[in-house]
Amino acid sequence: MVVYSFYIFDRHTECIYAKTWLPQSSSASDNNNGPTTTTTGGTLRIASADDAKLIFGTVFSLRNMVRKLGGDDDAFVSFRTAHYKLHYYETASSLRLVMLTDTATLSMRNVLHQIYINLWVEYVVKNPLSPVEHKGGAGVKNELFELGLDQFIRGLM
Amino acid sequence: MFVTVFALIIINKAGGLIYNRTFHEGGLNKISTNDYLVLAGTFHGVHAITARLNPLHPPTNRTSTTSSTAAAAAGAGGAPGTHLTRPDPPSGLEVLETENFRMQCVTTLTGIKFLLFTDTTQANVDLAIRRVYDMYSDYVMKNPFYQLEMPVRCDMFDRKLASYIREINNR
Repeated sequence: MVVYSFYIFDRHTECIYAKTWLPQSSSASDNNNGPTTTTTGGTLRIASADDAKLIFGTVFSLRNMVRKLGGDDDAFVSFRTAHYKLHYYETASSLRLVMLTDTATLSMRNVLHQIYINLWVEYVVKNPLSPVEHKGGAGVKNELFELGLDQFIRGLM
Repeated sequence: MFVTVFALIIINKAGGLIYNRTFHEGGLNKISTNDYLVLAGTFHGVHAITARLNPLHPPTNRTSTTSSTAAAAAGAGGAPGTHLTRPDPPSGLEVLETENFRMQCVTTLTGIKFLLFTDTTQANVDLAIRRVYDMYSDYVMKNPFYQLEMPVRCDMFDRKLASYIREINNR
């Protein structure tokens, strides 16, 4: 199992946290891509701010589509393409957690739920110094949250 | 193995809805034809974005490698247009899972999208959608009165499709 990236969007549709992990296993097979790949970027595309916007747009459209077809209580869980799989989890407070993994991964809904309970609530919500609204990611990028998330994801891989 | 097929949607290469049929009542919400048209257009756009979001192969990289391999092939005296290494074709959304249903999408080489809505217990949906595509090529494309990219109104296709889906749903 490989996790490519992880995003958090707040209820104002702003991306307040984004993190990418470099895959180790697939680097050998993709290295013949040409001389343009840099050593720092590896084979993973350097995630831009546009990526987060595209991901949010996709997730938002699909969520609305699913609600229209499956009823208001239906929730969009994941989608898969030939190259990656996107997992989605939305909390009651409209906080949206998105994770991109390889295609073989099973449902990560519980993992995203765990991240919400054990990391987000513990280290961001219960942090007295953290603001209520995380404009521009304020209060999210604290050491405990970053470290906990990185350890948790690396434990999965 | 109880797969229930709820509905089938066919979207043409421009994102227009050309076929839409519900097979099982109660599986999906009833929405108007206008909403189906909006849904088809939305899905077409989302499909294009999901193909771009691939975290492994950068799109800029791909164009540079294809041009460099083309140049190398031309330099070595190879026929123009032959690529030594062909990059993976971009692939958009294939399977969408929700709590209540599962949607499988197949894009043909000609850009037509077949969307099959089933219940969440997945089994051989690939096969079923392949069969639907076969039927489409047999009874729609071979119909001399069918105009390309236009809504599908073929009795034969309707009948064959209905009997095939009934067979699946009653299994």
